[in-house]
Amino acid sequence: MNEVVFLNEHLFWGNLGHSAVVVSFISSIMASLSWFFQEKNPLDKSWQKLATWSFQVHSLSVLTIIFSLFYIIYNHYFEYHYAWQHSSRDLPVHFMISCFWEGQEGSFLLWIFWQMVIGQILIRTAKDWKAPVMAVIMLSQVALTSMLLGIKVFGYKLGSSPFELLRNVMVDAPIFKQADYLSKVKDGNGLNPLLQNYWMVIHPPTLFFGFATTVVPFAYVIAALWRKSFDEWLKPTLPWALVSVMVLGAGIIMGGFWAYESLSFGGYWAWDPVENASLVPWLILIAAVHVMLIYKSTGNSLIVAKVLTLATFVLVLYATFLTRSGILGNSSVHSFTDLGMSGQLLVFLLIFVVLSIVLMAIRWKGLPRSAKDEDVYTREFWMFIGSLLLVISSFQVILTTSIPVFNKVFSANLAPPADVIAHYNKWQLPIAVLIAILTAVAQLLKYKKNPENAWKKIAMHAGISAVLTPVLYFAFGLEVWLYALLLFASIYAIISNSVLLVPFLTGKIKLAGASVAHIGFGVLLIGVLISSANKKVISINETGQALNPEFSSRENVENIFLERGKPSKMGDYIITYVKDSQHWVNTYYQVNYQKLNSKGEVDYSFNLYPNGQINPKFGLVANPDTRHYLSHDVFTYVSSVPSQKGEAKFVNKKEHLVKPGDTIYTNNAWIILVGVNTNANPEDLDARNLKVLLGAELKVHTLDKAYDAMPMYGVQDNQAVSYDALVDEAKLKFSFTGVHPESGKISIETSEKDSSGDFVIMKAIVFPWINLVWGGTIIMIIGFMIAIIRRIGEFKRLAS
Amino acid sequence: MKKSYILGILLIGIAIAAIVSMYGDASTYEDFEAAADHPNKEFHVVGTLNREKEKYYNPQKDPNFFTFYMIDERGNESKVVYHNPEPADFDRSEKIVIVGKMNGQEFEASKILLKCPSKYTDNQVKT
Repeated sequence: MNEVVFLNEHLFWGNLGHSAVVVSFISSIMASLSWFFQEKNPLDKSWQKLATWSFQVHSLSVLTIIFSLFYIIYNHYFEYHYAWQHSSRDLPVHFMISCFWEGQEGSFLLWIFWQMVIGQILIRTAKDWKAPVMAVIMLSQVALTSMLLGIKVFGYKLGSSPFELLRNVMVDAPIFKQADYLSKVKDGNGLNPLLQNYWMVIHPPTLFFGFATTVVPFAYVIAALWRKSFDEWLKPTLPWALVSVMVLGAGIIMGGFWAYESLSFGGYWAWDPVENASLVPWLILIAAVHVMLIYKSTGNSLIVAKVLTLATFVLVLYATFLTRSGILGNSSVHSFTDLGMSGQLLVFLLIFVVLSIVLMAIRWKGLPRSAKDEDVYTREFWMFIGSLLLVISSFQVILTTSIPVFNKVFSANLAPPADVIAHYNKWQLPIAVLIAILTAVAQLLKYKKNPENAWKKIAMHAGISAVLTPVLYFAFGLEVWLYALLLFASIYAIISNSVLLVPFLTGKIKLAGASVAHIGFGVLLIGVLISSANKKVISINETGQALNPEFSSRENVENIFLERGKPSKMGDYIITYVKDSQHWVNTYYQVNYQKLNSKGEVDYSFNLYPNGQINPKFGLVANPDTRHYLSHDVFTYVSSVPSQKGEAKFVNKKEHLVKPGDTIYTNNAWIILVGVNTNANPEDLDARNLKVLLGAELKVHTLDKAYDAMPMYGVQDNQAVSYDALVDEAKLKFSFTGVHPESGKISIETSEKDSSGDFVIMKAIVFPWINLVWGGTIIMIIGFMIAIIRRIGEFKRLAS
Repeated sequence: MKKSYILGILLIGIAIAAIVSMYGDASTYEDFEAAADHPNKEFHVVGTLNREKEKYYNPQKDPNFFTFYMIDERGNESKVVYHNPEPADFDRSEKIVIVGKMNGQEFEASKILLKCPSKYTDNQVKT
């Protein structure tokens, strides 16, 4: 058989990228081992040199991989499977960046990149901790780069390369028998329309930076266990752990905001396994930070601090395993392709689990623990309880999320709870109540010993909150008593932490991180409570017509049928589907909202443009549009559109004989013939042999607006021709059909557009006070930022 | 007794409660027959669309009423009622997972998950 020599392929970039993957893998092994031996032989500085060199080679090769892959996507080299599968020619550059991480390989690459950047920071700042910490981080880098290898080792395919050629992925396709197959591969598969969103450009890098940072506290704990060091690891670890909390938190909420802005499930959180998988390590890390602070101030709870820090990174790996091994299968809407790497991912996870457990076990006896009983009247005691509650919260979430894993391991037949939200809320709501109360109580107490009056303050703040709770409860119109508890707890957290904040405002703002973050948490809780408890689906048909007799229970009727141009009443709004328009690949449906006041008059009005992409691969992909107000959002999306919009039909044809100044009446408008224009511009028309061209200047008045229209009439090749004018808003079409010189009149034919097949099915939801969710999160992040600055300061003072 | 022991015991208790609650709330993958035997319990049923029988969705009449016939993995067929618009791409689905309960002869679905393998793994070159 002859080897086919393929034409026009750009093999250089793939070879460059793939070689860079191999170099990055080998150099990370070298760096990890060299730092390991440096730690073992602290006097032999040649290891240090080798390690640094390997790491620099590694960094350079990581940048090369990224550059090659982006070059391939940017230039549409569809001979590469990755470019073909995840991009297409029509994508703007910022979405090409999203293509980069749509696939698994690209998202691993993103993680590798951040871990490399973190390594670069550490070799400059970690001082005498550099060797052991970098040894661990490079070990994780070994595992990650192995995911991109795509090389067969003893029959097992190690990793999946983003530089695989299309013809090698689909070996059997007949097209690849042709040397010039590339001329036939005209375009790629394109980017999933749901990811064609600005938030998808920024959310994944943030989230992966968050994931990547969790390795640093992990590496410090491993290094500390290795060195049998008890105290010194804490000061460098704290700022890193806080950075991780901040970035991961920001990444998670950005994902929520993206879901809210561009997905049509109507909300920012759905307890989806993929969301849970990133939430759990974050909660555990927050618990870890609190216990670290306890250890720092009192010398207690060292073991718990270490275990939680180790668990954070292990949970990040577990999350990676869950979402990328294909094990979630039927239980998640995020369907990642199984690249056949589940075995490799499991090994990755196990390496770090075993490393953690073995080191902990070896050092267990030597770890300090406090002999005396804990004192209840202290901050550390309640902080510890709060941390335990965070652990319980994460445990519950990860347990239910892991149902598919239990099915695999125990061959069970469990499915996720039918009402997932109720299941999680049952646990998470009481836990949130307790945690919010503890943020107030623990903050009011001091470490170690407390004067009697601390309890007076705690009781007083609780009293004020208890008075405010019913006021807000009724103001927000809540109806479930459990919500009153959550409301009370949130108010308590906000009040106590605000009181604590006041003294810091004069100069010592640096110390206010905790108070600010806790206030943000309180605000966030109120936002979550009000926006979900009082979320109201308003797209409910109130006219009572069109009810299906087969359909008895009316409670879950949540979609409304809107015929174009026909106003419907929906809640306090009159809504009208006005028209649709096309931009790029998306169809935008203009929906007009008129808000009615209590007297039934129109208060104000606005337009929303929910859009849909009728994607050949994905069907209708709906993107919502939201009107934001300070106190509420009006959220709208199109849940269904007519499958095929045929040619528009025109009915009620009527001919009118008119002269300038006359008025024509139709069902929805009156039209004045302003004049007959003899110098109409024929430029846009097919104007060959056009002899005479007349334009009828029409002014079309509907109830609230006036439009101009100019149908035209001419003689071409000795035949009369007529050019119609359509006024879409008035659903009218005009034809100029004849001239009557004897009477000075012309004939205008009007016809009305039949819009009965022109409709949208729409859902609309009002989210009250959802801005508190975003606002609370931002306050929390500011709190983390203040705390990071303070802890970096402490670390620097320690170093100098 | 030290408080940490009490906390430890409490923690174990709560962990067990969480496991019990997970197990209790978890639905199971069943067929239509099992769903018919327990009419008040919600199940997950996996199956395929019966393309020979007609599905019904007439938004002009009722935008929140969609029915179709599904065959579960054991080969039983049932009519499924879904009080929402027809999901996009329904016809192309290869596998359907419905969540809901049996109501007389009909299965009332509260959720429909579609598996269209074409979404991410459509390895066919269009020329």
